[in-house]
Amino acid sequence: MLGFKTKSAADRAAFEAQVSPWLDTLYASAVRLTRNDRNAEDLVQDTVMRAWRFFDKFEQGTNFRAWLFKILTNTFINSYRRTTREKSLQDESERQSVEAQFFSSDVTDRAQNPEDYLLDRVMSEDVLKAIDGLPIDFRMVVILADVQEFTYREIADILDVPVGTVMSRLFRGRKQLQKTLLARENTETSPLIDLNAFRERKKLG
Amino acid sequence: MNCQTLDTELTPYLDGELVEEARVAVEAHLASCATCARRVEVERHNLSVVRLAAQQGPRAPQALRDSVFAAVRADASKARRMRAFKVSSMAAGVAFVVFLGNHQYRAHQFRLYEQDAALRHSRQFPLEMRQPGPEEIEAWFGGKLDHRVNVPRFPHATAAGARLLQVRDKQAAYIRYDSPRPMGLFVFGDDHDVDVGSEPMVGSSLGYNVVSWREGDVVYQLVTDLDEHDLRELVPGAHGTQAAPLDDVRPGTPLHSTPAVEARPASLQR
Ligand SMILES: [Zn+2]
Repeated sequence: MLGFKTKSAADRAAFEAQVSPWLDTLYASAVRLTRNDRNAEDLVQDTVMRAWRFFDKFEQGTNFRAWLFKILTNTFINSYRRTTREKSLQDESERQSVEAQFFSSDVTDRAQNPEDYLLDRVMSEDVLKAIDGLPIDFRMVVILADVQEFTYREIADILDVPVGTVMSRLFRGRKQLQKTLLARENTETSPLIDLNAFRERKKLG
Repeated sequence: MNCQTLDTELTPYLDGELVEEARVAVEAHLASCATCARRVEVERHNLSVVRLAAQQGPRAPQALRDSVFAAVRADASKARRMRAFKVSSMAAGVAFVVFLGNHQYRAHQFRLYEQDAALRHSRQFPLEMRQPGPEEIEAWFGGKLDHRVNVPRFPHATAAGARLLQVRDKQAAYIRYDSPRPMGLFVFGDDHDVDVGSEPMVGSSLGYNVVSWREGDVVYQLVTDLDEHDLRELVPGAHGTQAAPLDDVRPGTPLHSTPAVEARPASLQR
């Protein structure tokens, strides 16, 4: 009759127990999304509070981690992106361009050279920095797929985009990531990496 | 399967996302093509290096962990206090009702819903979905609320998009319109806490006109800066509107002095 539902203390305890294991991964992803520790903390705070408010809408037994990440990405898209003024690919007639670029020459001309081999000792910090440099829509799928290891289906549900879009963004995001990392390796070490020399060094080291 | 078509399959192949048939086709090609086999080896290596490094992200600071759950606890105890308040004011309700009169009490409560809707509309919260079609908006709300959201078909208004918002204690669908003027429509389930009937009533709050009506257990509140004349344009055939003054106890006045079916939003005609 009051039409007013409140959650019990038991609900709160259940909520904390379910969220707690994912706080580290939420935070790690929030840092990658916002590229700023302070904003990442705010984003996690907002995400958890929204999750709590909607906790009675969560269907127990379904994928809680995916549900949390859907809230995280939605919260990010809604509030943080407008402040950072990042443009979404979706705004830019993505539909035509994605398919075209998926099959375009810049894909097919890259017969892989041995020089494209990333060094095993590539620094985590460099990879994280390279992820931060990706455009937002690529960054989101790379974070969800390669940091959080969600399946394409889960990512499609989290971002509300078709699986094909997830796949093409992931393809292009990773490609750009590799390019950045390889360019970095090539400038940091001697002008051109000699794979044999590298293998020799590795054997010695 | 050839070297060209492998391109489109490579990403899902490496992620283990190909169906059995497609995976077998890729592997058959790799067995017969050294160039692609080499390429896949490089890609697989690079992907594993990136993934390993990417997963060395920072951990949540303890202070964040603490403050996150402290905020949840504060919210939970606030909600409990409100529930206690509601129950005790029910008990004390007799005195309250005698003092104000039941009608006035309900009218006062209704004013609070109007005010809250106007306040939240004025804050311009970011939209969660941006599509103008009533069908898309209805589909987007599917499963998000306890009730189905029927979006009224206003003949002259175009929606900008929608999001979830509260109106006081009610979880509501919020649809924002950009034209002809900015407007916000709240749609929420209500078991007759809100004192409004199926006849649209117009009141005003914070400089907005708030048109409220009910369809069964669902209440609609349209917040707009349109004046009475424009409201009549928006809701064709409406007449006799009269905005209640801000300090008026009356919740609102009928938008239509005589019920006219064709004058109502389409959602009311079904
Ligand atoms: Zn081949």
